[in-house]
Amino acid sequence: MLKTMAPSALPRNGFKQNHKPESNIATIDVGGQLFQTTKQTLTLAGPDSLLSKISDSASAHLPPPFVDRDPELFSMLLSLLRTGNLPSKAKSLDLQDLIFESQFYGIETLLINSLSNPSHFDAFNLEKSLTLPLNGRDSPSVIATTPFGSVHVAHGSKITSFDWSLRKKSTILTEFTAVDSMLAISTKLAAVGATDFSGLQIIDLENGSVRETLNWENVTRSGSTVQAIGSSQEFLFSSFESGRRNSNSIMIYDLNTLTPVNEIGHYEIFGAEINSALPATKLKWVPGYNLLMASGSHRGPSGVCGNIKFWDTRSGNVVWEIQEKVDCFSDVTVSDDLSAMFKIGVNSGEMFYADLRSLGVEQPWVCLGDKRKMVSGKKEGVGCRIESHGSQVFCSKGGDLELWSEVAVGSKKRSEGGSEARHFRKNVMGRMKDMGGSRITNLTFGGNKMFMTRKDQQYVEVWQNSARGY
Amino acid sequence: MENGNHHTATGPRSDDRIKLNVGGKLFETTLSTIQAGGPDSLLAALSSRTSDDPDPVFIDRDPEIFSVILSLLRSDGLPSTARRFAKQELADEALYYGIESQLKSAMLPPPLSGIDASIVTTVQPASDGLPSAITAGTDGSVWIAHGGQISSYDWNLCHAGTIRTHLEDINSICRVYPEIAAVGSESDPGLHFYDFSGVRNMGSIHWTDPADPRIFKARVTSISNSPSSVFAAFDCPHRENCILVIDKSTLKIVGELSRQSGSSAKNLAVGKLTWLPETGLIVGSSVTCGAFGYSGYIRMWDPRSKEVVWETNEPGSGRSSRFGDSFADVDVDIEESTLFKVCSKSGDLAIADLRNLGDDPWVYLQDKDPSMRNIKGGGNSSSVIHCYKNQAFVGRDGALEVWSRLPRAENRVDRESEVCEGLYRRNFVDKEEDAQRGIIKKIEGGGNRLFVVREDVEGIEVWESSRSSGAVSVL
Repeated sequence: MLKTMAPSALPRNGFKQNHKPESNIATIDVGGQLFQTTKQTLTLAGPDSLLSKISDSASAHLPPPFVDRDPELFSMLLSLLRTGNLPSKAKSLDLQDLIFESQFYGIETLLINSLSNPSHFDAFNLEKSLTLPLNGRDSPSVIATTPFGSVHVAHGSKITSFDWSLRKKSTILTEFTAVDSMLAISTKLAAVGATDFSGLQIIDLENGSVRETLNWENVTRSGSTVQAIGSSQEFLFSSFESGRRNSNSIMIYDLNTLTPVNEIGHYEIFGAEINSALPATKLKWVPGYNLLMASGSHRGPSGVCGNIKFWDTRSGNVVWEIQEKVDCFSDVTVSDDLSAMFKIGVNSGEMFYADLRSLGVEQPWVCLGDKRKMVSGKKEGVGCRIESHGSQVFCSKGGDLELWSEVAVGSKKRSEGGSEARHFRKNVMGRMKDMGGSRITNLTFGGNKMFMTRKDQQYVEVWQNSARGY
Repeated sequence: MENGNHHTATGPRSDDRIKLNVGGKLFETTLSTIQAGGPDSLLAALSSRTSDDPDPVFIDRDPEIFSVILSLLRSDGLPSTARRFAKQELADEALYYGIESQLKSAMLPPPLSGIDASIVTTVQPASDGLPSAITAGTDGSVWIAHGGQISSYDWNLCHAGTIRTHLEDINSICRVYPEIAAVGSESDPGLHFYDFSGVRNMGSIHWTDPADPRIFKARVTSISNSPSSVFAAFDCPHRENCILVIDKSTLKIVGELSRQSGSSAKNLAVGKLTWLPETGLIVGSSVTCGAFGYSGYIRMWDPRSKEVVWETNEPGSGRSSRFGDSFADVDVDIEESTLFKVCSKSGDLAIADLRNLGDDPWVYLQDKDPSMRNIKGGGNSSSVIHCYKNQAFVGRDGALEVWSRLPRAENRVDRESEVCEGLYRRNFVDKEEDAQRGIIKKIEGGGNRLFVVREDVEGIEVWESSRSSGAVSVL
């Protein structure tokens, strides 16, 4: 008799014995070549996939099920099922072939997970890897991404959508002359608005049809233009301004039904007090605090002033508000992972952070650079963009991109006190050859990639990890 | 489980055959082959199965890559089909079968021979790619400090991770544990320990003395490492300096060596520290370059007694004919217990036997090949020296040369242990065009690889010896 190995002696490996009648081994004939694997491996393909159906129907007494497909492509997808990664020989093929093949077997999600997984994003290992050309003469005005790395690019009145593999694209025409804000609701659906066109349009990116137009009914009965769009898991937020520019508001819609849920931050302007009611031009949901960050600024003769508000979207109350009078932000973002808010000073061009764990202090901003520069008065921060992703903050300065990360110093116990200064350090991203270039106008993240656009450049730049890039 | 190699009347015999079904493909091999992976490997675990089992063992993996793994076990070498797979893929698969050490020994380069080495690759971090310090592991892995970050590359030279330290510029780095780096900077005080697995700062060591107010903001100039201690040279803004001995397990200061002050060349902080495993002594050297040429010292301490065992100062000691030709860089060949220096003016190389040091222990190596004579002659060239595998690698500006020991003639047994002028022979490692890439700032050896850092060049060069001829078809 044979000796059975103790299960504990063989953890997580694939050793199986096929002597039992209820054999675990599934045999498949793909294009004349026999493959054997375990039923567990095939069930990883998901219950609706062709492979798990094969696994269910396979039996030791019947001839192996026959699939009339290319065996070489199948062997790569089988490796993907076994190890979670594509074998290196897949690099000699066009990815599009593998995508078609994975769609046939119903395991495209596994392929997406392996090649464009947001958890594989490594900020320290990003390098410029691709450019996505855009046809026509318009340079991109705004880009939007989905979590698994499809990207929609608005240029002029057109929106070009790239699929997650960045191998296929499609372009639609919109009613807008230029799109100013866009948010990807799904790979097929985007919320699109402009500052010179009334209404927030929900556009089907497959055929270009407007599925719905959301309007804010303002008092003056004029049109309502879109200043910013944001979203949480359940809600869609849109910042509207009336056509006469004397009132503004943030509308909250249900993300699935697109019905209005709440209206917060409705302001009316009387007389010349423009600063009393600045429309929000950036909306960012902070899931860790269940708050919506809304920021807006105004450039007047006395300089730039602005405000940042944190809204409780249920009650419609402002939880925390910062008035920016000196060295107002040129751009601002919130990082949930770091529990901090970051801004670039419009005059100093320096990075500042404010700890969200100590909301409401008198002077929340801590300068992460040379404070002396603040008096220079040069508009060094104009045009800078700042975005957070994961536990890093990315900040564009002209054509260069800075990566800010927190350095964990000392023991964990001490940092729980929360009072001592935090350490953020920057690095300029990219190699020497990538330095400079036109000013960065947009910066977003999707899948394991970073996307950016530059002033007057008719393409999207893609940065991804150097190691396992396809 | 029993030892896989033992033979009993009923147990499996090593020449017994075994059948494996890998992903639908049948493989047949002997028990001794699959036991070659060592007793802990998953394949060896199969050897406990008796051969009268009619069904082959099924393994749900890719058969093509398994054939490479099996060839590796059969022959200790990789077949040419291995080239179809990425290095990382082979490493992943070897990890699955538990035979990573076999793959390492098959994939790592052969012993580094400076007279027959070529550049194989450049390891380049994704951002801020100018290396400020590097440290190589014995398995051929390397840690690169660049722009305040430390990037780790594994034995395959695959990127294993990057951490950001709080320092803006790391000037010295030492691997004190497999996952822990000790780093120091010339712009920020203190010695800092960073943990790669936890991505955090584990603690810092600062040199302080309540009795002496001149000791503050002490920065680290060099770090060395022994199995139990870390040695770090500290330098204060007012030129007070010392070497601190830090216990590796507690990360606490346990001793202080050679505290000195004053700004003469004899009293400057140590710029290069080496711990000698054979004697337990540490060798430190300091070099400055001023208007009147190079000056500096080499000292040897006993960390137990905290005494200076031997020292030499240049210019000022040694033979008068060499006055004004003081050393530009020093390194220790630990295996041969030999001290190497490269002279700043003449460019000559001199060696000293560490077991037999005296007032003037230097033997100046003769350069037999007239075509190799230093054409420059002047003291303008920047020289670095690094000893690795009984060879001395010297970078002169952009050129990389090697001094290798001549094979000992059998009839000259009487002079075997003695160092003499003709003991080493000089050769260029690189080609003329390689030297154009930039001035060599640092050379490090590890895992039979030579890592070369050049000034204002991103990334580090990796030089290896190879047995393959690299024949180029010109058809």
